[in-house]
Amino acid sequence: MDAPNLIAAVQALQPDATVRAQSDRPTLIVPAHALVALATQLRDDPDLRFDLLETHTAIDWLEEDRFELLYLLTSVPHGHHLTLSVSIDRDAPLVPTVCQVWPIAEWLEREAYDLFGILYDDHPDLRRLFLEDDWVGFPLRKDYEDDFMLERPE
Amino acid sequence: MGVITDKLPGVLEPLPGGSVLVTAVDQLINWSRSNSLWPLTFGTSCCAIEVMMATGAARHDLARFGAEVARPSPRQADLLVIAGTIVKRMAPRLRTLYEQMAEPRYVMATGSCAICGGPFMYHSYTTIRGADEIIPVDVYVPGCPPRPEAFFYGLLTLQKMIKEGESIRHPGERRRPVLAALPEGMTLDDIRKEMQDLLSHDANVTMADAVADGAHYSAELKDF
Repeated sequence: MDAPNLIAAVQALQPDATVRAQSDRPTLIVPAHALVALATQLRDDPDLRFDLLETHTAIDWLEEDRFELLYLLTSVPHGHHLTLSVSIDRDAPLVPTVCQVWPIAEWLEREAYDLFGILYDDHPDLRRLFLEDDWVGFPLRKDYEDDFMLERPE
Repeated sequence: MGVITDKLPGVLEPLPGGSVLVTAVDQLINWSRSNSLWPLTFGTSCCAIEVMMATGAARHDLARFGAEVARPSPRQADLLVIAGTIVKRMAPRLRTLYEQMAEPRYVMATGSCAICGGPFMYHSYTTIRGADEIIPVDVYVPGCPPRPEAFFYGLLTLQKMIKEGESIRHPGERRRPVLAALPEGMTLDDIRKEMQDLLSHDANVTMADAVADGAHYSAELKDF
């Protein structure tokens, strides 16, 4: 399925989804409360069959005071790609988990929690993945600072 | 080796001329140590490709310097080559590996990351700025990553340090660390010549030596 058909097919499933501008591959902005239902439909719909969550990551939009969560999906049987984008409040970064839809999301979400501090509702095992368990703070946030970091002298 | 290095100086020193003998034993031990450095199989990033694979493979051939027997266990290794970035989470493991190695143990820091943190020096929340913040380093080999020639220069520097700087009279004491950068104006030909000279001191037999040595060859060979 090519990009316009894909976007139309997903928007038929979820009318609230809007197209994200400036994206290399078809990207749809989805409200957080509709994420799990849409993800399940994307995986199970015979025409879409998005059976692979390639990666999941976050972007810290500090000026706009929000986190953008990206879910890069691929359909192995059909060979098409789709990205879902979910924006959440930076002060209360809570989003439902998609572990039940794609099991790999468990570790990808742990990584996003580790580095951005995003909280996943219903996640079975939300712990740090890369950093030490007693690490304080979330280093990929744009406003992260600690005593160890060194500023480049001008 | 433990018995020799621990007991021998005490036995030899009181004898008449024993001091000279200890020095001779020193030279023998240092020679064997410097020519049989067993590196630990330890690499944390791209320098490991250069140091462990490129230098170990046939073209550059680490075996020429007796340091090709990479050991996967720190108990059997005596050279720790820090090849790559050391992050906060790796630091305690690196320290443990170092502590597990038997003395005498030698440490080479190869590449910018292991020397000072390299490109991750500023604004990094996790990169250790230099492996010498964790363990003592004997030889620094700069480069990003260093060429195999640069690594060999560092290895030869370490061998020189071992040969000249250690004595079983003072076990564990060593000469100060050396920056093994190539001196200004040194070319690849100079390096090749130095390696050639070094190798010729070992077991290589030249035509002149062979003829001078005995009656196995006719004198006509001298014309070569």
